[in-house]
Amino acid sequence: MSGYVARHGLVRRAALWAATLVMLLFILGPILWMLSSSFQGESELLTRPSHLLPQQPTVANFGYIFTGAVPQGLDVRGTLRSRISQEAREVPAALENSAIIALTVAVLNVALGVLAAYTFSRIRFRGRSLVFNFLLGTRLLPAIAVAIPYYAIVSALGLLDSYFGLILVYLTFTLPFTIWFLRDYIVSLPIDIEEAAQIDGCGRLQLLLRIVLPLAAPGLAAAAAFAFMSSYNEFLFALLLTQTINSQTMPVIVSSVATNPDASLALIATSVVLAMVPPLIFAIVFQRFLTRGLVAALGKS
Amino acid sequence: MVQQRAGESRRPSIGRQGAAGRESRYAYLTLLPVLLIMAVFSLYPIGYSVYLSLHKEVLTDPLNHPFVGFQNFNNVLHSYYLISSLTSTLVFMVMAVPGVMVFGLLASLLLNESFAGARILRVAILLPWAMPAVISGIVWRWILNGDYGVLNSALFQLGIIHDYIPWLSSPDLARVGLAVAHVWREGPLAAIFFLAGLQTIPTDLYNSAAVDGAGRMAAFRRITLPLLRPTIVIVLIYETIVAATTFDLVYVMTGGGPADATSLISWYAYAEVFKFLDLGAGAALAFLIALALVGVILLYLRVLRTEEQR
Repeated sequence: MSGYVARHGLVRRAALWAATLVMLLFILGPILWMLSSSFQGESELLTRPSHLLPQQPTVANFGYIFTGAVPQGLDVRGTLRSRISQEAREVPAALENSAIIALTVAVLNVALGVLAAYTFSRIRFRGRSLVFNFLLGTRLLPAIAVAIPYYAIVSALGLLDSYFGLILVYLTFTLPFTIWFLRDYIVSLPIDIEEAAQIDGCGRLQLLLRIVLPLAAPGLAAAAAFAFMSSYNEFLFALLLTQTINSQTMPVIVSSVATNPDASLALIATSVVLAMVPPLIFAIVFQRFLTRGLVAALGKS
Repeated sequence: MVQQRAGESRRPSIGRQGAAGRESRYAYLTLLPVLLIMAVFSLYPIGYSVYLSLHKEVLTDPLNHPFVGFQNFNNVLHSYYLISSLTSTLVFMVMAVPGVMVFGLLASLLLNESFAGARILRVAILLPWAMPAVISGIVWRWILNGDYGVLNSALFQLGIIHDYIPWLSSPDLARVGLAVAHVWREGPLAAIFFLAGLQTIPTDLYNSAAVDGAGRMAAFRRITLPLLRPTIVIVLIYETIVAATTFDLVYVMTGGGPADATSLISWYAYAEVFKFLDLGAGAALAFLIALALVGVILLYLRVLRTEEQR
């Protein structure tokens, strides 16, 4: 094989790099284009052909969203549309709503999830497999099929347009996966230390808190990252269960900014960039955990 | 779920007598919160959907809810929109699913190489999947815009087109555009799955194949593809479900148009409830979709089991 590699090594490396660059262009191109657009003025975005890089870079769009200072381009050309402006001004509040909801879901999800997962993995009790299969089975219901009943439940609980309503719904979406994922994770941990501690008189809760939690930390991080991202990204139920900026999340606000036919392009791009930032940072920081978690999710049944 | 009384379990999991009851009590207590939430949010929705689907429930006629038997199902099954949305869904899937599979496979082959490019790609590839689907839809709607879209701009400057093309205003092109956005979003996930499959293939196999004089293409066809088969089957079924239930992208990119060309089945179910306000028909349709999906998922589990036995 070494002769083959020596002869074809250079050609092969060049081909690999070419393919990688094409793929990176496809993957990152749209993201970079949004980033570039968010630093362009409205009139620059309307030019043909498009400017790939801003020729008069400006942070006025971000300034408008965070402070309300109207970007010059919009003012001078008299194209400021009051409706879209109000929506874009709601982006910071929506970011806050999204962050609070997604972080709360991640924390509650892991807390409740690990409690149940430890029980499923180490304790034998009557009805164990029935309960476990019931939990997994709930995920067979497609989102669109439970939309109306979920609305009815959340409305009956008086939780429409509240953080807690969405948090509750997202917990039901994320808990089955977390429990299943963490159960497998805990099963794969060595049981010896737990048994020794048990002989010393440690109760189950102590075992979980003192011994299992530290060992299962990477699994918990992966589960939390998944719960955060699926809550942050969810759209349909956020659309149905929220009504005002008191609880509306980023996907709802940015889609309402963008589907307005009068939309200001510069403000759409800027809102999109702001919506992307948290999950992209999360993805980069948690890359290893996410990749491992995704693989585990698909590989086992 | 009905809770069983603690203490009934006769199988002590640790040696000492009397500990079994305590163990069971601990088990039920720790599962209680999760079970409570999950039971409320799964049993009630099923019951409520059954009720809705068997009654006339149109929000524009709020005081009139007669029991109508299977009429909602009948109406949905004979609706013009069902056929048209099923066709749109199928056309979309025929483009999107192979697109995702091919993209995923190619990307995973690159990711599996050991060079700096693969390490860069490994971080980058998670990004489209990480952001909300509505955000990726907005990004692609803009790229494909007919008046100032960057795709038109690029093709124009390269001399490939002479006029800007309104991609999302033509039924056929809008379907392609939707599929491309879907591949951008879902392909990376498939790539990660395939990469995991590739990494389980022992390198020895490739070395001995090379000793036997097999070229790279032969090794790919004789070793990689057969050993990757279980992963391919699983990803294929998973991506089929994902494509069949696509909603967020449609909502922001096309709103089901133009001329219902991208009105996929989940969009139709959404419109039935939230635009036509017919909860009964919406519930009946949701039932049919759920039934079809459960069928696919059961098939999925069955395939998984047979693959594991191989």
